[in-house]
Amino acid sequence: MDDEQDNLVGFKASLRFDYQVLTAVTIPQAISCLDNHPEIRVIFCDQRMPVKTGVDFFEEIRISYPLPVRILLTAYTDVEAIIDSINKGNVFRYVKKPWVEAELVSAIEEANKFYLANSMLSVKNAELQEAYKELNKFAYSVSHDIRGPLSGILGAINLAREMDEVEEMKEMMFLMEKSVKKLDAYVLSMHDYYSLQRGELKITKIDFNELIHELKEIYSVNAKINHVAFKIDVNQTETFRNDIAPLRLIFNNLLSNAFKYQDKKSKNKSVEVTIDVQKGVATIYVKDTGIGILGSHVGEIFNLFYRSNSTEVGSGLGLYNVKNALLKLNGQIEVNSVLHQGTTFKVTIPSIG
Amino acid sequence: MVSFIVVDDSELDRFVTQNFLKRSDESLIINTFHDARDVLELIRENSKQPDPNPAIILLDLQMPFMNGFEFVEEFEKFPAEIKEKYTIIILTILSPDNNPGDIFRIYNFGAVKSIIEKPLTKEKLLTLLSHIKPAN
Repeated sequence: MDDEQDNLVGFKASLRFDYQVLTAVTIPQAISCLDNHPEIRVIFCDQRMPVKTGVDFFEEIRISYPLPVRILLTAYTDVEAIIDSINKGNVFRYVKKPWVEAELVSAIEEANKFYLANSMLSVKNAELQEAYKELNKFAYSVSHDIRGPLSGILGAINLAREMDEVEEMKEMMFLMEKSVKKLDAYVLSMHDYYSLQRGELKITKIDFNELIHELKEIYSVNAKINHVAFKIDVNQTETFRNDIAPLRLIFNNLLSNAFKYQDKKSKNKSVEVTIDVQKGVATIYVKDTGIGILGSHVGEIFNLFYRSNSTEVGSGLGLYNVKNALLKLNGQIEVNSVLHQGTTFKVTIPSIG
Repeated sequence: MVSFIVVDDSELDRFVTQNFLKRSDESLIINTFHDARDVLELIRENSKQPDPNPAIILLDLQMPFMNGFEFVEEFEKFPAEIKEKYTIIILTILSPDNNPGDIFRIYNFGAVKSIIEKPLTKEKLLTLLSHIKPAN
């Protein structure tokens, strides 16, 4: 910004090959330029202008445009003006008029580094805030989900000292076993959580038939014991590339939920999985005839430590991990649920690379 | 005859608490619940009867849907003649994450008579029973 058009032309001419340069002759012009170009990183302003000095201009925009780095152009070397420019105008550097191109370039490079460091800082800051929030939730969860079952098991051990009857003892052992399994599942899903937070994708060719075969072996036992019909349909003729670990995590969580939340009294229990790979996108449906999800809870089931059900209490991590895995794979998830009739999850995942 | 109401989302904890109580007195009437909202419903139903039996509520704090704090707050809204039938004992794990202010606040409610830290032991239960029984 300079009130002398000739200076602006010269300035633009010497820098236009390396940078995008916008110029303004008046303050309103400069402001509208800042409004229209939020990407502006460095502002050069002449100190001596008719309506306002460069320092006053910088002071004026200090609050509304805090991000761009300010450089004052001046031939004028009054100490007062220098002090003002630093204290009031928040000026990063001075460039003396007439300028030498090398000096301008070095000032721009330094200013750009400063700009990047500053904006990185605000991004990192936001990430940290988010991480702290999750940490708080974890502190709560550790006390409830780890210490809770542990204190239950300790209580049971205390009670066992009073017990003489084997049958009663066995009944309690069964409940203790459930608590231990729940703890174990919790620790495993914590592991999933962390491996999703870190680690890069390992892309390989995915054969869904193979993946589903593996899952079938795991879940067929559950299906048989609980009399749940388990149907699988895979339609894949093309190559699909992705990371097997998050895919497994997604399937495992959706399937274990589908089996876990069956209506125990129902006669026709089923879990259906269909996978269809078309034009580089895998569309997966996991459909169950379970207890369903309350309409008012559907929006929250993917939140960290959210639990929709009070009788079959989960870890509150499963679907959160699914959502995070899909975020990483650029995939989508939709849920359709009718209370007492069942839930269908639809997942779409693009082939990568 | 005073009865007991055990409210805990953990199946094992309900079993342990109920069993300890039975062992102290075989004739005790004990009802267990996994959802605190069902207990509010029960209290509401019982209040319609002419002279409901008094009950001691053993209440867990950390539960999904309605936690122990919310339960006590809702309970406090009942009229005095209903509230006086019930004694609430908090049965919970205490950890550094528990806000001491929260514990203090819940302890200040008239109905809350005591807090017991989990895990439950025979000694803790006997101490508790010896404190409560004379009052009834």
